[in-house]
Amino acid sequence: MAEKIIAYRFDQVDQTLSQLNKEDCTIIAGGTDVMVLYKSRRGVPPKITKPIVFIDHLNELKQVYKKGKDLHIGACCTYSDLLNDPLIPTPLKNAIKTIAAPAIRNRGTLGGNICNASPAGDTLPLLYVYNAKLVLRSVSGVRIVAISDFIQGVRRVDRKSNEILAEIILPSELEEGAYAVFEKVGNRNADAIAKVGFAGYIRTNGEVIKDIRFAFGAVGPTMVRSVDIEKKLIGKTIPLAGADIAQVLSAFDKIIKPIDDQRSTARYRKTVALNLLRYFLSRKQYQHN
Amino acid sequence: MNLKDISTSVPKKDHKGKVSGQLAYISDLKVENMVFGVLYRSPIAYGKIKSIQVPDLPLGYEVVGAEDIPGPNYVKIIKEDQPIFANEWVNYIGEPILMLVGKDLDILYGLLEKVKIEWEEYQAIFTLEEAIKQKAAPGVTMANYEFGESLEIISAIEQGAHQIIEEEYDTGYQEHVYLEPQGMLAIYKDDEIVVQGSMQCLYYIKNALITALDCGDDDVRVVQSPTGGGFGGKEEFPSMMACHVAVAAKAVKKSVMLVFDRSEDMVVTTKRHPAKLKYRTALDKEGNILSMCVEVYLDGGANVGLSSVVLQRALLNSAGVYKIPHFHAKGYVLKTHTVPNGAFRGFGAPQSFAGIESHIGHLSKRANIDPLEYKRKYLVKQGDPTITKGNFRDPILMEEMIEDLLNTTDYKKKKVEFQTFNHHNQRYKKGIGTSLFLHGCGFTGSGERDHIKATVKLFKSKDDLVSLKISNSDMGQGIYTTLSKIVAKELDLPYEKVSYPYPDTKEVPDSGPTVASRTTMIVGKLLERAAKKLKAQWQNGVEQEVTENYVHREMIPWNELTFTGDAYPAYSWGVNFVEVEVDTLTGNVKLENVYANYEVGKVIDDRVMKGQIDGGLAQGLAYGYLEKMTSKEGRIQQKSITDYGPPTSMDVVSIQSKVFDNPYADGPYGAKGAGELTLIGGAPAVQAAIEDALQTPFQQIPITPEVIIESLWLREGEEG
Amino acid sequence: MITFTLNGRKVETDAPPSARLLDVIRDEYLLIGTKEGCGEGECGACSIFVNNLLQNSCLIPIGSIEGAEIVTIEGIMESDQFKILDESYSEAGGVQCGYCIPGMVMASAALLAQNPHPSEAEIREGISGNLCRCTGYNMIVDAINLAAKKGDGLWQKK
Ligand SMILES: Cc1cc2nc3c(=O)[nH]c(=O)nc-3n(C[C@H](O)[C@H](O)[C@H](O)COP(=O)(O)OP(=O)(O)OC[C@H]3O[C@@H](n4cnc5c(N)ncnc54)[C@H](O)[C@@H]3O)c2cc1C
Ligand code: FES
Ligand code: FES
Repeated sequence: MAEKIIAYRFDQVDQTLSQLNKEDCTIIAGGTDVMVLYKSRRGVPPKITKPIVFIDHLNELKQVYKKGKDLHIGACCTYSDLLNDPLIPTPLKNAIKTIAAPAIRNRGTLGGNICNASPAGDTLPLLYVYNAKLVLRSVSGVRIVAISDFIQGVRRVDRKSNEILAEIILPSELEEGAYAVFEKVGNRNADAIAKVGFAGYIRTNGEVIKDIRFAFGAVGPTMVRSVDIEKKLIGKTIPLAGADIAQVLSAFDKIIKPIDDQRSTARYRKTVALNLLRYFLSRKQYQHN
Repeated sequence: MNLKDISTSVPKKDHKGKVSGQLAYISDLKVENMVFGVLYRSPIAYGKIKSIQVPDLPLGYEVVGAEDIPGPNYVKIIKEDQPIFANEWVNYIGEPILMLVGKDLDILYGLLEKVKIEWEEYQAIFTLEEAIKQKAAPGVTMANYEFGESLEIISAIEQGAHQIIEEEYDTGYQEHVYLEPQGMLAIYKDDEIVVQGSMQCLYYIKNALITALDCGDDDVRVVQSPTGGGFGGKEEFPSMMACHVAVAAKAVKKSVMLVFDRSEDMVVTTKRHPAKLKYRTALDKEGNILSMCVEVYLDGGANVGLSSVVLQRALLNSAGVYKIPHFHAKGYVLKTHTVPNGAFRGFGAPQSFAGIESHIGHLSKRANIDPLEYKRKYLVKQGDPTITKGNFRDPILMEEMIEDLLNTTDYKKKKVEFQTFNHHNQRYKKGIGTSLFLHGCGFTGSGERDHIKATVKLFKSKDDLVSLKISNSDMGQGIYTTLSKIVAKELDLPYEKVSYPYPDTKEVPDSGPTVASRTTMIVGKLLERAAKKLKAQWQNGVEQEVTENYVHREMIPWNELTFTGDAYPAYSWGVNFVEVEVDTLTGNVKLENVYANYEVGKVIDDRVMKGQIDGGLAQGLAYGYLEKMTSKEGRIQQKSITDYGPPTSMDVVSIQSKVFDNPYADGPYGAKGAGELTLIGGAPAVQAAIEDALQTPFQQIPITPEVIIESLWLREGEEG
Repeated sequence: MITFTLNGRKVETDAPPSARLLDVIRDEYLLIGTKEGCGEGECGACSIFVNNLLQNSCLIPIGSIEGAEIVTIEGIMESDQFKILDESYSEAGGVQCGYCIPGMVMASAALLAQNPHPSEAEIREGISGNLCRCTGYNMIVDAINLAAKKGDGLWQKK
């Protein structure tokens, strides 16, 4: 028979952290990734070998609030919590609406999507272009890292085994005259895993681009973003000249390196990623949101 | 029962148990002394087993394999080419080799991983392309047929033709995704084995068991459990599972339950045959068809199963609904070392209709005529011969059905509107497409008379309740309701006084399998006649039983060798119009409007019919653009529902459908078959709509976003 | 030992904390209305309520529901809302093989509790995690629409 499975479900984050400091555990928030990843065949519990720590009931990890101009989102907020929260920016809500279906959205968490670090995580492209920062807590305190530093590869994140992701911070600049959009390309209209994801972000002053960012999902091991390419467009005016657009496209053409898998082909992913970028760049105007 | 019109809907017989979830499907059952079975499956595609090593088994755990089979080691279907437990050769990844049984699934899964097999591996054939290249090699062609106009005459016509058009068309796998995974239970008793489970064909299973167990008629009994969808997927496949559990139960003297996990179900059960269809058509200057040759290749997978019959239906539909001058066709089922393919709603016809509708659509472009107009020029009429020298002897309402949809959709106007829209919109393109199709009802040729020989019984109890004794399965299609209704109406009894218990071979005669759109038309007719008979003899308060046997309709005798004669007693007909919007940046296709007209003789229950239309068409449309399954080196790539992608509620739109009355004398109340017909037109109509939107021809289904983006990319390349 | 409320009754289970709620409901409490169609969140046949929210019981480790209120189809079967759904599904012809239906009914009830007058698009979204292979959904959409009308006033939670 299987060995006894140990699981913890503390009332407080602090107790949780001190347990994590004692032993390496599998953290379960909503469990929508964990339960599938470790799934056994029919009729048998998933094979989770490490002790389990449940965290999704911890209220401390479910707060959404503004601090100065930053928006703080608790890692254990479920997608449904976020859809019902007036503080959450519309583009992020729109992205969340493309995730799975209501029952999963009642369970899956934003923190889980980040820590799971799937290339097809649908909140990730937007979080990248929002320059989201992550608040990691452990017994030794708090550490804040940029999401792009935190996610290092497919299911690989820079989390020490005694840390939990406590909050996601969306920094201030997203309100001031900015436009952001997320497009998900899946095989069907619900319950689909992204074949390509694209997030675009632009902040303008009149016709002049003050800031512009793009991130692509499901076309590489992590989100593809390039600050160098983005920089080249700052100061240019809208609508962008054909040559500028072509330059950006060819720069991304070189760094987007998708793969073939059971869901799609490398060629499709790349073509569509660039199509969506071209479409974003070719717009005549951007409504602030 | 006093219904003015039989079509008026009545409540479904099995509604209560289903809506509350309290009806027990096979996986909901627990019986005494029950153990689970799990199958060890071949990890290689083609090879010879040298040795099998099973780990030491804990107490209460046992292994069951080929040596435990009392009879011969094959699942009786048509040919004896499918082992119950492969013990010499394996022919596909996932082929069952042995079964482990015991109480705890966790332990069983652990033990499975410790089974060791030594192989001699051989070079496998993985794709239909490869098989076509090797079709002359021994064993590769598992079935083939050829018929039609002589090739000399065609060659003479081609000599004089203005143009010869050749096209090659590919269709992919389709997976049933019945929501209830396959499951089978063998209940062990001293004097009999009762096999119960999710199934369409009780007597297929019973016959397979009698052979495998080498036992008498009374030693096995097959009982249908509520069946959570079938669509053909529970036609022949359950026979194998039934053999597994029955052999195991006999060997270990316990009841054995085998239920698949979704991924196991997706990877090892039969699917719709991938096909390649080749067309060679001679045209005159105006684009009129002078002659046509069609070749159909079906990927049979590792064994022939029902593939030869599927091929027959594919060939019989290879000219679509058209009267094509000088038509010739041939077809092959080829062996590949991949999971065996089998029955799926439509049974070879969906591939053929997708192909011919595509080809005719492309020919219309050459003739510079609107596709629908071109199709109508060739539409068969009552009295026309079929491609097998049979006869379309009943009235055909296709023209009325087409006219009706032309009006409903405002087709001409819409075409113009879409052109304007497409001209102005860079990203999104709209299109409208049509499909015309039929479905031959019942078994091909003389199958009903020579092989099935259906018998039905009606039993009346002392308290004047009547029950149907037939071996057909309700798997959701609603025959509990429709067949009960036919009997109730005929007997003038309240609907509640007629019952249709879940069939059990101990109680019911063989009224044939639940396949081929035969149940309502054939079994329904027999029941109608049985009810008439019972009515004539009715005596209150007395137990009575009546029996009816199949009577063959007079027609031109079918000859399978020459492929001539009436292939079917009757045909049902359909017209679909589909509107789509294509996102040219992503290749995603959105259904906008779907219209469907059908003629199925007479509808037995409007609501049941609408259910068949909406469900069948959703599957057919998705076959054309959404559902994609591929195999790579003998392995199915899409192992989850999401990766495969059947439509969700957000992918389908409401369907405007109408059913035309055209009663058929040999069907109950005039009814013909309806279940498969509804699927067939979906894919070709969606293809035509996508082609209309993008003004690009396609040579395959599914037309996935990947296919669309590739074709746009190629076109951009050509245009510079 | 994990304690929770199942259809209004306090229960305890000593299933391992990683065990799927689906298996516990079916094997321990013998409630068969919650079905397994995929075991990985992709079909909705196992839909139940956790603290009034629709969730997939195949994805829920039993250890995470300590103290929670779990309701299965058996738990709503006697309610007025269920009666309306039952009638509407029957009238609209929403039931074929039935395997998706308990989950579908749970999703319908969840949707109507949140949004008593849903549009067609909202209905489609509400059941988008519930796969039905038989019906093509339209008659289920009709059923929910009908239930919204028939049960007007009944859906809002008190
Ligand atoms: C049917 C289905 C459909 C899906 N569809 C989509 C989709 O469309 N788009 C999409 O992006 N995703 C999808 N997912 C994936 C999943 O739902 C999301 O990634 C979800 O956000 C995960 O959240 P969770 O709380 O359930 O994560 P869990 O499974 O609990 O955790 C995921 C990982 O993160 C770790 N973790 C979670 N929270 C923390 C924390 N606070 N601190 C440290 N580590 C943590 C866990 O240890 C684990 O490694 C789908 C999943 C399923 C089953
Ligand atoms: S069984 Fe839980 S969603 Fe399919
Ligand atoms: S009724 Fe069969 S899956 Fe929905």
